[in-house]
Amino acid sequence: MSREYDVIIVGGGITGAGTARDCAMRGLKTLLLERLDLTAGATGRNHGLLHSGARYAVTDQESAEECIQENMILRRIASHCVEETDGLFITLPEDDLGFQSTFIDSCLKAGIRAEAIDPKEALRLEPSANKDLIGAVRVPDGAVDPFRLTVANVYDAQLHGAEVLTYHQVTSLIKEGDRVVGVEAYDTQARQKKTFRSRLVINAGGIWGHHIASLAGATVNMFPAKGALLIFGHRVNNMVINRCRKPADADILVPGDTICLIGTTSSRLPYDQIDDMKVTPEEVDILLREGAKLAPQLMETRILRAYAGVRPLVAADNDPSGRSISRGIVCLDHETRDGIPGFITITGGKLMTYRLMAEWATDLACRKLGVDKKCQTAQICLPGSETEEEKQKKELQQGRRTLGHKAAHGRHGTRTSAIDMNDSEDASLVCECEGVSVAEVNYAIEELGAKNIINLRRRTRVGMGTCQGELCACRAAGLLGKANGCARKSLDDLASFMNERWKGMFPVGWGETLAEAQFTSWIYEGVCGLDAFSKKEE
Amino acid sequence: MKFDTIIIGGGLSGLIAGIELSRKGQKCMIVSAGQSALHFFSGSLELCGLEDEPAKAMEQLPQSHPYRKIGLDTALTLAERVKPLFAEVGVNFKGNAERNHWRITPLGVLKRAWLTLDEYASVPSDGLMPWKKVALLNIDGFLDFHTSYIAAGLAERGVECVVKGISMPELERLRHNPTEMRSTNIAKTLTGELIGKLAARINEYAKDVDAVLMPAVVGLAGNADVVRLKEKVDRPLHFLATLPPSVPGIRLQMMLKRHFQKLGGVYMLGDTVREGVFEGDRLAGIMTVNHGDTCFKADNFILASGSFFSKGLVSDINGVREPVFGLDVDSLDERPQWYRKDMFEAQPYMSFGVATDVGFHPSRNGQPVENLYATGSVLSNCHPMKEGSGAGVAILTALHVADTILKNQ
Repeated sequence: MSREYDVIIVGGGITGAGTARDCAMRGLKTLLLERLDLTAGATGRNHGLLHSGARYAVTDQESAEECIQENMILRRIASHCVEETDGLFITLPEDDLGFQSTFIDSCLKAGIRAEAIDPKEALRLEPSANKDLIGAVRVPDGAVDPFRLTVANVYDAQLHGAEVLTYHQVTSLIKEGDRVVGVEAYDTQARQKKTFRSRLVINAGGIWGHHIASLAGATVNMFPAKGALLIFGHRVNNMVINRCRKPADADILVPGDTICLIGTTSSRLPYDQIDDMKVTPEEVDILLREGAKLAPQLMETRILRAYAGVRPLVAADNDPSGRSISRGIVCLDHETRDGIPGFITITGGKLMTYRLMAEWATDLACRKLGVDKKCQTAQICLPGSETEEEKQKKELQQGRRTLGHKAAHGRHGTRTSAIDMNDSEDASLVCECEGVSVAEVNYAIEELGAKNIINLRRRTRVGMGTCQGELCACRAAGLLGKANGCARKSLDDLASFMNERWKGMFPVGWGETLAEAQFTSWIYEGVCGLDAFSKKEE
Repeated sequence: MKFDTIIIGGGLSGLIAGIELSRKGQKCMIVSAGQSALHFFSGSLELCGLEDEPAKAMEQLPQSHPYRKIGLDTALTLAERVKPLFAEVGVNFKGNAERNHWRITPLGVLKRAWLTLDEYASVPSDGLMPWKKVALLNIDGFLDFHTSYIAAGLAERGVECVVKGISMPELERLRHNPTEMRSTNIAKTLTGELIGKLAARINEYAKDVDAVLMPAVVGLAGNADVVRLKEKVDRPLHFLATLPPSVPGIRLQMMLKRHFQKLGGVYMLGDTVREGVFEGDRLAGIMTVNHGDTCFKADNFILASGSFFSKGLVSDINGVREPVFGLDVDSLDERPQWYRKDMFEAQPYMSFGVATDVGFHPSRNGQPVENLYATGSVLSNCHPMKEGSGAGVAILTALHVADTILKNQ
């Protein structure tokens, strides 16, 4: 099997998704390949912080400026993925209050609204913040849902003609002479080798891009940086809370839907461990100890799970040791850099600047392909955010609206109308914590390409609430089984889903989390016998 | 207020102990916080599921196991008393302690069982399926019962399934509210006159099949609806377990509680023991949250407060403790040792619990409390999930401790 594309993008994280959208919008015949599911890498494993750029203002003006510009763009084009919470940078007695004025000056210079407010006013705005704070600065931070944002980008890419294949692992790059002319990929679900030809290949593989580049014969020095986070089962704070000091461990607390997240730690990781990250008890201790300084209530709040993401830090080309690290966007033209035509790497950057990264990569691709089309991704809204909020509200008020409708509207924005909930059976709830209906699950299976429960969780939040998939996972598996017609397969999937949840739970397995885990085991293993479907790990 | 025995915990173990002591003339009180493991009862009780013969299976258990403390011979003798005891309560089980039979789980898997509710489907110990063709029914829109899993499981064992959904106008009201379509709500609706209508709907599909299987969503308030439904359905009707809440489990708990009260027992629901009043090595009385300064006194006390989920054990970032009396627990110091990475491996934390001597006396600061006993899943050194021993440990330790208390009085 061989098809011809203008570009093949490797990687289904936010960078790849954004690049696929941009390329498709500029009329390129586009294919996106992802070895697992969308957002399976760093995109799905971070704070979900809509950075104002304030965090970088003092240390890295360029990143700060990029952040605030993209921040303002995302509020407009991805309004259904963004929550405009604003953020506080608080100074605690142990911090240097003198840093505050440097911080504000740097923010203003980068174009970031930053206003010092009275500690009492700060506590009124954010009652969960540490009562001992001696200073606070208000900045336009917010929360962004990376799952929703990625799915919306991919969905729009498809609307513009792009093809998207998940569970396709690129195994080699096809070369003619030095030129890259396509990829060989392994379809891990059909267990089939496939060949795709294209005029350009864009490597958007995040940390895994290190390996993709090596397949082309290029060396991109990337250093995996692990960041661990904790998710709490209750939304303690309404605004983002940061420490007003130079960036350090566990100094950002971000609210999101019904939960909040503290993170991150930062540590280098050997490259061979990027697919098997464990959160250590020491990391959990640091996150809790430092997090409680931002909002003391965290100590008493139930932790749902711990997880870690891995960011690619890119070493400057002239410094293979990795001491000189660029945190900015890195767009590599391997034709001029390495003499490998047909191959581009887009890396570095961050979730906040994904759109800009996509723009840079697509600009380069267009230049190479002789296409003269301007980038429009900063102007045209993503599906789900197209109409004014007023219109969305009006639509929400029309007709009989259930909990499932309201929750789905939060997740899919104006796309919610595509979810048919006229029948009472469709409206019945699969996941009570997150208000996910039968119709929404079916929509995710049919329209958003959900093939298993983990896919469903990313697209609908099923199993992400306080119960962590206690009963909803089984209900979702039932619906998937119905859709794919194979009970056995959906039970294998259920077993691996529950096991995956457990891996995030046991590092924080005490208190309510342990009680809940025991209950879950009693149900799934004791009552149901799900252990019969578990695959033994080595 | 003075009792012969006060029992902390109103689940299976506490209720069995309370009933056994009350029927022998003791004045007992049970303090219950509310929900117990019976709320996710599978329809079957397990004694030891490691092998076909419980007696052989129990020989694999470690010396520290509660069955070993009872003594395996004594344990099997106690097991003989369980079916008649439940019959007195009005709940009939099938099965025996000589050889396990099989229950059918909600995922269509067979698991070993000791006693199964009479009205439930089960497979004899030889594993040969009792039917060639069954009608497998569900209530339309009920998401906590998956016919596809059960049909696949039965098909693997050569049973042909005719899968059908049942709709009834009376259930429509539940379906309009997305959270209402749960087992207990269905059971509250499917009662009284509707049983006849339900039977008529079932009979439409009960032709040329050996049996009808359906989710256990009838009979929340008592056995009557179950008995009437079985009478009116043309073919043998058997229930299958649903995901929680368990309708028969809630009924079983209610019937045990009523029986205990009929025997003169005092059942304090929704109360929690705040602290114990100790006199030397004896527990003199307990104080509860709802009863202020009242000290409830008794000659003997039984702690049947359950494991982590029932809050009989509590953990925090530093360790595990028994929250009522601060009793000594068997656990591991280093938190990373509490778990295995694979959820389905034997998780060490599951066998944490109150440490006791062979007489089931727990201790405080190393000192045994002579008139306090622990029973059921609060006990350490058993792994109910991996051993298939949860109900057996709950019931047999309760009977054994009741016998001990009666012998010593």
